[in-house]
Amino acid sequence: MILPKFNYKKAEDIAAAIALYEKAKGRARYLAGGTDLIPRVKLRLSTPGTIIDLKGIEQLHTISRQRGSLIIGANVTLFELKNHDVVKNHFPALYESLDATSCETLQMRGTIGGNILQNTRCLLYNKSLEWRTARGFCYKMGGESCNVVPGASECFSNYCSDNALSLLSLSASVNLAGPGGERKIKLEKLFSGNGMDPFTMRPGEILTEIRVPVKASSGAYEKLRVRNAIDYPLLGVAVSIRNGSGRVCVGGIGPAPRVYPLKDLSKTSLKEVAQHARQEAKPVSNAALSPGYRKKMVQTLTQRAVKRALKEEK
Amino acid sequence: MKAVKVNFRINDEPVALEVKPYETLLETLRERLDLIGGKEACGLGSCGACTVIVDGIPLRSCLVLTPEVDGASITTIEGLARNGRLHPLQESFMEKGAVQCGFCTSGMILTAKALLDRNPRPARKEVVKTISSNICRCTGYKKIVDAVLDASLKNKAYHINN
Repeated sequence: MILPKFNYKKAEDIAAAIALYEKAKGRARYLAGGTDLIPRVKLRLSTPGTIIDLKGIEQLHTISRQRGSLIIGANVTLFELKNHDVVKNHFPALYESLDATSCETLQMRGTIGGNILQNTRCLLYNKSLEWRTARGFCYKMGGESCNVVPGASECFSNYCSDNALSLLSLSASVNLAGPGGERKIKLEKLFSGNGMDPFTMRPGEILTEIRVPVKASSGAYEKLRVRNAIDYPLLGVAVSIRNGSGRVCVGGIGPAPRVYPLKDLSKTSLKEVAQHARQEAKPVSNAALSPGYRKKMVQTLTQRAVKRALKEEK
Repeated sequence: MKAVKVNFRINDEPVALEVKPYETLLETLRERLDLIGGKEACGLGSCGACTVIVDGIPLRSCLVLTPEVDGASITTIEGLARNGRLHPLQESFMEKGAVQCGFCTSGMILTAKALLDRNPRPARKEVVKTISSNICRCTGYKKIVDAVLDASLKNKAYHINN
């Protein structure tokens, strides 16, 4: 598949990357691992005039500990992060979600920042330009209707990051740097809930680092997919438990993940949370498995993940 | 679109090129350098047929822009044989019959090489996990996994060769 024409620029530091973005007058995209961006560009879902490579920025490539937090640079690859001692010993949910992401070769290329900021997906959206032109453009492509749900007024594309779910369960926050300066927000606040434009990032902003409080947790990640070797999640559930209470995060259905607190570890509260998560999940037929099945599996996988997390704690 | 100057090493030979900024590494290898071992199948990073090793890491060359690998050291399937002798992995693939149509083979061997380079004696489970990065629609993978394990047992020869 041939790429459309664009310019390639490599940034040495964050300020230079932002300057390059401003120079391109909004027609630029940041490139890290490229495992999400390049296929999108090939399918003409994104048509940047300039691609700004962030891989040369040393600062984005480090993992450090500072004041009780693990600070993960956005360009750390999924494979490096998976093999980091703190992740292995303290964050089992994150370890499992990293291990379940795609396949080993892509884990070695894909970065944690890029994985969090991957665009939402839909069976009728991630297609070639010819296919989409024949079918008619949907909301997410700038059209005036949804191709999956006739008459719908919103976009139902699915957010398919595995690791954002486990990071949410671990109460992570992110740092953003852009033309307007730096800001630090909770990871939850990164999601707009709008499938057409799934993130609350301002134009030109770069995700620089992810901060996770270092406290031992027990946890688990459950993923529903057709092929265990590579697929995106059709549903993902992450659970992390610290000091007798936990956080459950459900994703892969709809444009934003949902977080549910687990106040205590009793059977009744687990059942309540699992049922609540199932009620709130609104899958539509835009993925490889039926919406009915995915909805049922929300409850099943939530219970399975929590039970698995608790067994580790004993 | 301004051409980009790149310098890298391919199979231990330095190469200097001027490439299009929107050129993938796979296109450069196949169309400029006649290294046609890497194949384009899906073109979207799902199948692994275009895998090459860049700085010790197996990469899908259809997803990598050539300007990104400026300064890197690249190994393709053409660079595995040493002094007229095939790499132990290539020999094992032949001995174990792990090749049918052959389209996925270069990607399989390079993915396996990267595994053996970081872990010379992997368990069967680890080989299966690594090899699941690549798609083969002929063999059912058993013979490929057998071949990789066989190559890992030729440990001594493997290390002398590398």
